[in-house]
Formats: sequence, C-alpha cells, structure tokens
Amino acid sequence: MSRVFRKVLLFESVSAVLVAEKVLKDRGIPYKLIPVPKHLSSDCGVCIRVNVEDLRSTEEILTGKVKVLSTHELSET
Amino acid sequence: MANTIDARGLACPQPVILTKKALEANDDLIVLVDDTAARENVKRLAINMGFVVEEEHQGSETRIRINKVSVCTRAQGAITPQGPVVVVIASNTMGRGEDVLGGVLMKSFLHTLTQACPMPDTMILFNTGVKLAVKGSEVLDDLESLANAGVNILACGTCLNYFSLKENLIVGVVSNMYDISQTMLTAGRIVQI
Repeated sequence: MSRVFRKVLLFESVSAVLVAEKVLKDRGIPYKLIPVPKHLSSDCGVCIRVNVEDLRSTEEILTGKVKVLSTHELSET
Repeated sequence: MANTIDARGLACPQPVILTKKALEANDDLIVLVDDTAARENVKRLAINMGFVVEEEHQGSETRIRINKVSVCTRAQGAITPQGPVVVVIASNTMGRGEDVLGGVLMKSFLHTLTQACPMPDTMILFNTGVKLAVKGSEVLDDLESLANAGVNILACGTCLNYFSLKENLIVGVVSNMYDISQTMLTAGRIVQI
C-alpha cells in the first residue's frame, strides 16, 4: 500500500470541530472527522483531516468562523 | 520466599515487562519501583492477571508485593474466549443521550477500528446502525476498508426494509435474524456499541 499524505486540523473543542465540519460540508471540501492521532494531543479527541491540496482553502474558509489550533502532517498507509 | 525484581530507575514499559515475565513463573513476587507511572502500571498488570497487590512506600520508592490467593477474584483474564470477535452496532450513534455527540463518537470509533489489531471478524449492524452502511453515510470509506480487510459486515435486512434503504446498501451483505443470532451465539467475544 502506498503512503498517503494528508493534513489534520486540531480545534479546541468538539463544538469547534462540528462548526468546521459544517462549513466544509457546505462548501463541498472533502474532509473526514477522525480521532486525534495518538502522537498528537488535544483535549477534544477528534479532529478534521483534509487532503494536502485543500489545506490552504480550508484554512481560508474557516478564518473568522472557527479557530484552528494547529495543523499537522499525517501519513497513513 | 518471594523473588524480588528491582525495577528502580527503569523506564516504562521495562518494569511491566519484567513483572509480567516473572509472574508467568512465580506466584509470589516483590517489585521495587521508584516512579509513579511504573508503580501504577505494574499494579494494574498484576491485578489484571488475577493477583493480589499490596504496596509499601519507602520515601520515593515503592515495594509492591504481588501474590496469588485462593479466594475468588475478578473473572478478568480467567477465561480466554475462543471464537470470532463480533462487533455489534445497534445504532448510528455511539452512546445514548446526545445524538450529535454520538455521531461524532461513532465516526471516530469506526475510524479507529480500521487501524485496530486484531480487527473484528464480523460486524453486525442493526436498527439505525444500518444507516452507517448506506449511500450518503459519512463512514462508508471506513466500512469499506474494514470489508476489504476481510471483516464480514452483516446489515439487518428487516432494518433496511423498515427504513426503505435496502437498495442503498453500499457495504456489507443483507442479513437476517437467523444469521445475526447465530453469529452472536457462536462468537468468542461480543463488543456491543
């Protein structure tokens, strides 16, 4: 299996993740709500995964709507 | 006379590994630790293996006495289940009370199952659980990767019929109560969500 590189965005609460999820869904940006990867940590335990090429537009769209705590590279098989 | 393991100064998981090895050969053991995490992990291991634990603090060090008693202890670990592991998903949300939260938890749970080792042998979806496997579900990719890995996914036919979703089933096979009950009755372990 080849490795896929994606980005994960962490938020400060589950409610913030839900806000971000709604915005991305409405805008048709492919995303996936996943548990925060073990090597990262956040209080809320869930985060949003997007494709690398969508990171920039995702961040732009979320600006002013919900605060992104941090973004991280994620490699999965 | 109890054997003694000196796990002082060792980093986790070393104290736990040493304790586990020793407990496989001994019923009576003393473990010396000087770290809180090591102390708690060693205690938990011993308790989970069915031993009785006593501790004695000496400054920053802890002396953990582990031994077997003949009284009835918790069943945990006493029975090793044989047979398939079956995950039963009885709802499209995880837990009761708040459905929005339950939806988030279910997505999160199914995604971790794709990375679990070992994966379940069979998953049974019934009641609103079948909605997870139909067109438009946000967890289709996770269910698909489970199915591709060989997990047998059974979706309750009565439930699909009730929700008029039989034509929309994307992952898994339409099943019936005979298969569902038989799978549950012959399971080594059932994990009910």
